[in-house]
Amino acid sequence: MNQGSNLNVAVLGAGLIGLDLVTKIKRSRFLDCQLVVARDEQNRGLRSAAAMGCRTTGGGVTSLAADPVNFDVVFDASNAASHAAHWEYLETLGALVIDLTPSRIGHMIAPTVNGTDALVHRNVSLISCGGQTAIPVLHALTQRYSPSYIEVVTTAASMSVGRASRLNLDEYVQTTQAAIRAFTGVPDVKVLLNLSPAEPPPTFRVAISLIGDDFDPDVIRKHVTAVAEEVRTFAAGFEITACSVVDGKAFIAIEVEASGDLIPSHAGNLDIINSAAIFVAEQYAAARLVTEERTVS
Amino acid sequence: MNQGTHEDAAKTRPVTIHDPTLRDGQHAIRHQLGRDQLRRYAAAAEAARIPVVEVGHGNGLGASSLQVGRAALTDAEMLTTVREQLSHSKMGVFMLPGWATTRDLKEAMNHGVDVVRVGAHCTEGNTMERYLGFLRDAGVEAQGVLVMSHMAAPGRLAEECRRLVDYGASAVGIMDSAGHYLPEDVSERVAAMAAAVDVPIIFHGHNNLGLAVANSVAAARAGATIIDACARGFGAGAGNTQLEVVVPVLERSGFSTGIDLYALLDAADLAGREFVPTPPTIDSVGIVSGLSGVFSGFKNPVLDAARRENLDPRDIFFELGRRQAVAGQEDLIADVAATLSRSKVSNASSAY
Repeated sequence: MNQGSNLNVAVLGAGLIGLDLVTKIKRSRFLDCQLVVARDEQNRGLRSAAAMGCRTTGGGVTSLAADPVNFDVVFDASNAASHAAHWEYLETLGALVIDLTPSRIGHMIAPTVNGTDALVHRNVSLISCGGQTAIPVLHALTQRYSPSYIEVVTTAASMSVGRASRLNLDEYVQTTQAAIRAFTGVPDVKVLLNLSPAEPPPTFRVAISLIGDDFDPDVIRKHVTAVAEEVRTFAAGFEITACSVVDGKAFIAIEVEASGDLIPSHAGNLDIINSAAIFVAEQYAAARLVTEERTVS
Repeated sequence: MNQGTHEDAAKTRPVTIHDPTLRDGQHAIRHQLGRDQLRRYAAAAEAARIPVVEVGHGNGLGASSLQVGRAALTDAEMLTTVREQLSHSKMGVFMLPGWATTRDLKEAMNHGVDVVRVGAHCTEGNTMERYLGFLRDAGVEAQGVLVMSHMAAPGRLAEECRRLVDYGASAVGIMDSAGHYLPEDVSERVAAMAAAVDVPIIFHGHNNLGLAVANSVAAARAGATIIDACARGFGAGAGNTQLEVVVPVLERSGFSTGIDLYALLDAADLAGREFVPTPPTIDSVGIVSGLSGVFSGFKNPVLDAARRENLDPRDIFFELGRRQAVAGQEDLIADVAATLSRSKVSNASSAY
């Protein structure tokens, strides 16, 4: 590590997610953005990253080993198919890899549920934007209830969903479904996605429906309110906008606003997964710091 | 058309009729078509030589859900049942990226699908890239359709269509999912698309303003060669283009469909007896749905929400229109109803 105790980080991918991640890293007291990587020097996102003061390369993932910097954390904000190849290569480098693509390769993490797992895995997956939004709520509710069916409908503003994400809709749906099954123990799960071009763009929204017995609206409201408060410790724009029980079905709507960065406020989909990524990386940084202090003393 | 009325066959222009009665019609009855109904209608459509019979949940493959309604049968059950009845007619399916995945397409291919329609909101055509490419590479006829197309200008639709062809679509076109168009709107859009691409152009009409047949004829005259229509107009809200009307009207207008008139009328009568409980009528909610430019399929969930919150369903439709709701966003209905219920302010009556 170079300056003080900050972690050296690299970002793979300079699309909408990668660039927002860069702005969040630059704000972090624990992380130094050392390199932004694309596969092509002509990449427009790379120029934006350079304009933000980052060192960039169009040389692809293999640039990392050749680089003079030793990377502690590598964020993969490319796409699901590329992540498989990236991981094969990165595994030998020893950095913590935080995957923001829906590749389903790494250990799946939702920070408020199992965030500390990042300390014992080398490749952690942040599932998807819809997964990061729905899973904390679903995990809490399934501690109390045993629903027979879970459905999650995500609506993101068109302009907040870039080309890589549009080519990864299958992975988005399948990875989010698999994660919800894993975190809730409920096998029957359905995930749907809508894109909205409305003007002004609608705030990122996740609508959750559950079928089950004896849902008590007051109990559900209490649980989801508590969860929202926890999630807001790292994603300030997380709000429960509806919570009801009708005909034995529980319905919870969540909206996430992006806050404090270059991305517009409607793009909560970018904000929540990137905020989760930064949160995990900072926890990792703090744990490393503790270990080093112990080693020194 | 065999018992047709048009005499100068040499001058007629061919039009392919694509029949989504067993798919889009499902919206009218909350996706509850059963095996016998599918079997009988598919057999009747085959007998009438309808070129393509589309089947599935109202929102296509993988769409059975609380969001839009759970289907009585699985996709596999529907496809198997219809496949057995078709030999000359092709079997079609519909899919929306984000709702169905490549896995669903492979399942449909295993069940012998001939034509796959991939659909997306009219400005989001690039979500189809992966699926149209996959189907083209798999050798399956793939068409790309732009849903809720009244929400984009003709030039934008043409540009989207050009991209869909690049991705692998062998036909492209538009759906008037809200039944919002006037015939001149359709002519302008079809002409723009036809000028942009060299593949057949599709038009799919809804009847909210009583213009589905007229719009379909306008589309054909402007160069569309694939026209969608449903028996008895079976479809959400005010219904779709009525199949047994638009076919003879197209024939009289100088187009040839290759469909047998008596067998077509028999198929429509069968649909009427078997599963169209009341022929779609243009009720006031249907008109408001068309005027507000909201997907016709929202009718039943809007009526449910209006009953629950004691609201005027027309207010809900206008507010959904103001929010530019797209097809598939049924979860917004409860939201809008709750907001209106809190304010109890009618912003609809002042708008029109």
